[in-house]
Amino acid sequence: MTPNHGPFTKTNHQIPISSLNQPTTSTTGISTSTRTRANNTVSGTDLSILTQFHAGYFRISLGLCSQALLWKTLAEPTTDAHALSGIVRTIPSFAFILLWLIALLTLLLLCSLFLVRCFLRFRSVRAELAHHVGMNYLFAPWISFLLLLQSTPFLRPTSQLYRILWCAFSMPIIILDVKIYGHWFTQGKRFLSMVANPTSQITVIGNLVGARAAAQMGWRESAVCMFSLGMIHYLVLFVTLYQRFLGSDSLPAMLRPVFFLFIAAPSMACLAWNSISSSFDTSCKMLFFLSLFLFVSLVTRPALFKRSMRRFSIAWWAYSFPLTVLALAATEYAQDVKGMMPNILMLVLSVLSVIVTIALMVFTAFRTHDILPHDDPFACYSIVRHISTYVAND
Amino acid sequence: MEKSDLPVEAPSVLKQSSYQNIKGFDCVDLENGNDHNRLGNATSDKESKGESVAISESTKLDGQDIAISIPPMMPLSSLSLSLPSSPSGLHIGQTKLVVYPEKCRNTNQNNPTNQNPQISRQKQFRSQPILVVEGTKRKLVRSETMRDSRFDPFKTWSGKLERQISNLRGMPTEEEALEAGETKRHETEEAPGVDRYFDALEGPELDTLRATEVSVLPEDEKWPFLLRFPVNAFGMCLGVSSQAILWKTLNTSPVMSFLHISPIPNLILWWASLVLMVFVSFLYLLKIVFYLEAVKREYHHPVRANFFFAPWIACLFLSLGVPPSIAANLQPIIWYILMAPLFIFELKIYGQWMSGGHRRLSKVANPSNHLSIIGNFIGALLGANMGLKEGPIFFFAVGLAHYMVLFVTLYQRLPTNATLPKELHPVFFLFVAPPSVACMAWAKIQGEFDHGAKILYFIALFLYMSLAVRVNFFRGFRFSLSWWAYTFPMTGASIATIKYTTAVTNIMTRSLSLCLSAISTFTVSTLLVYTIIHAFVLQDLFPNDISIAITKKKPKFSKMLAQFRSSSSDSKDFDYSISKGLEF
Repeated sequence: MTPNHGPFTKTNHQIPISSLNQPTTSTTGISTSTRTRANNTVSGTDLSILTQFHAGYFRISLGLCSQALLWKTLAEPTTDAHALSGIVRTIPSFAFILLWLIALLTLLLLCSLFLVRCFLRFRSVRAELAHHVGMNYLFAPWISFLLLLQSTPFLRPTSQLYRILWCAFSMPIIILDVKIYGHWFTQGKRFLSMVANPTSQITVIGNLVGARAAAQMGWRESAVCMFSLGMIHYLVLFVTLYQRFLGSDSLPAMLRPVFFLFIAAPSMACLAWNSISSSFDTSCKMLFFLSLFLFVSLVTRPALFKRSMRRFSIAWWAYSFPLTVLALAATEYAQDVKGMMPNILMLVLSVLSVIVTIALMVFTAFRTHDILPHDDPFACYSIVRHISTYVAND
Repeated sequence: MEKSDLPVEAPSVLKQSSYQNIKGFDCVDLENGNDHNRLGNATSDKESKGESVAISESTKLDGQDIAISIPPMMPLSSLSLSLPSSPSGLHIGQTKLVVYPEKCRNTNQNNPTNQNPQISRQKQFRSQPILVVEGTKRKLVRSETMRDSRFDPFKTWSGKLERQISNLRGMPTEEEALEAGETKRHETEEAPGVDRYFDALEGPELDTLRATEVSVLPEDEKWPFLLRFPVNAFGMCLGVSSQAILWKTLNTSPVMSFLHISPIPNLILWWASLVLMVFVSFLYLLKIVFYLEAVKREYHHPVRANFFFAPWIACLFLSLGVPPSIAANLQPIIWYILMAPLFIFELKIYGQWMSGGHRRLSKVANPSNHLSIIGNFIGALLGANMGLKEGPIFFFAVGLAHYMVLFVTLYQRLPTNATLPKELHPVFFLFVAPPSVACMAWAKIQGEFDHGAKILYFIALFLYMSLAVRVNFFRGFRFSLSWWAYTFPMTGASIATIKYTTAVTNIMTRSLSLCLSAISTFTVSTLLVYTIIHAFVLQDLFPNDISIAITKKKPKFSKMLAQFRSSSSDSKDFDYSISKGLEF
């Protein structure tokens, strides 16, 4: 039985890490019970392994769906990159469709696995919703669906089906918004200053993606509404994260790649405002430059990521989505501001994002075992949470 | 320190006794860990000529160190002090002497130099008396035969550079004996952690030593000039060059033409600030070359680190204030050259804020952080003046985002934030600087003084007013060189007002700009007078820079220190009290 941890103690934060360890490798004493449970389940059916997927696995779908969107944007006729458009146009269009289909299939697979997990291990899912990192990744499937919707070659943005799908995907985002943002400033146990961590930016990104899709559909008011919702909470979150009230205690070292989400939020805001205002005006530029600055700032701090790069884990997929979104923003920037420098920027960032995504796919293919969940990081957690709530209620 | 004068009897350990009778007195004996030494017999030293050699140095031993600041003794008295290692854990860092007499040299060479790896790990007690103690009278002329190695830990490569140079100059050196001390220097290569700065220092600029702390270097003696030359000196350049910009604006702005200001003040001020900048940069460069460790310590100081932006900001001011007679248009390449180091510094500082750890913002936030923000806006203004498009927007965006964070943090006055003073201090004027410069930059980027610029201007004006009405609370602060850095926000606000007057011209705005310009000019002139008085009359423009001389670890008997410091005002008493406290 694991000792009684509060939701925010360091030991609990290490529980997701333990899910990445092999059952035979030695782990800290804290995760011994998870290991024994893992051993029991490993000896069980494969199905139990598959139900141990937690929402963090949606990073894969985020990466792939954003790649599809990037390729689609690069192939647009307004893109002015001399070299890039040449390359991009030589690739036949079925390659894009293939990429889009792969992304769709991955997303559907992950969604179905997560649904199965919901049915079979509902307690774990509830525990996940309460965890300060896990709860943000519940936005990830809806973000992926919206990205796929924006990049689909089959539907036009003004078609009826598009609009229906937009409503279907945005509704859960708004519901989660109300729940999570409400917690930030009303709930006693989950103040923002305690809960804030870089993954909280995914909530903001969700709103911004919805805003962009709405703007492309022509629904301007909904777009502005979701944009303002996202931006106001981004303001608060940005300040809180920079203040680092609790220091780096709130995020385990293995999850450091999620720092790249700092890049993703302003880039997404830039893209959303670009769609809303239909031109890359000064505010878009400012957001893009901020994102670029944060990118340079993170890339020049390799020591921050050293520990997490020691072994391959699902956290590595956190690099792909922000880089792709930054490349997208650079593409839009180059489309608007013609010139050599923006084109070079677009070229460099796009190539970087493609390389990173391909590398991650290769790694996943060859080291699938590392990436599969070996135990449910939230299983013991849900029991612990029960106990902690009982203790707290005394 | 004259033993005969002291009212307090020396503790038994340090009781005066005939040192000649003690075997192994003042010669290193590693095996004998309980090497006691006595205070040098002061009376016998009075005859010898030469300068005083007071030793106080601390080295880290086994992770604990104590810094004892012992003021220099009356001339020619000597002090050799080393203390036993006590199993109670009270380990006092040993003091090093400067002069290595021949008699003991051999013993020295036998012991430490052959056991270098051991030395750094073991407690080591070693001190060599001054020559006079040995009875031989040798002229102690410091510049010729010995170097003052008290300040070695602050010098570049711990004094090796200086020795190289003195070697080259053909001066005799005591290399072999000094090398023995090198092994212990590794502890002083790293600057203290940021927590130590907060623990050891207090005050709005973190420049006063707390009562519980001691300084590594002697507090009563004037340190070498370069060591006393802080990076705050660049604040002077900021103040003067911003005045140059003000007078240029007064000269060129059409709305202020009723004043008929000639271009002469701008020219004079610009040349003065250029000369000052060159001078200050040269001195600081010398400091970097000769006192690299001290510079490192300044860099790690939570408040002083922001002043490292000051040279680049001053260069930007110089470019902004260039008189039209000298250069009508500057080349864009200058902008890139000036912004590159600023960019690199920013990456470092903002990255530290973001990635947490010891230097996260909630802990180190203080009003001087505005200096790191304002460089962005000034760069944006200069770039927009030059006609660049994307670069100014880049820096404006970065500056705005981080300004928001800093502004909220400082307003919050988080409980984890230790540096914000309860009382007002001129450093609060830095609050006014970013919005006023941002307003000018935005107006230039947009091409007109639009709503965004007006919003920023009104914020700056409001902050200025709220500080101006509290001017009574700014009393009672010791004048320091960094006050110059706080004048440029006032000047910036005046310039922003003039630009606002250009957009909205009426009697109110005109009088406001006149009033603010007058205030800022008056403040700068007053400050100039003060500076001259302190520099030439009182000769304390550059006091000992205590804030970089803190120890790396808290002194063991810090509470006793505080007690003794508060009870005994005389520093001599204090030192004897120290020795008394050592008995515990």
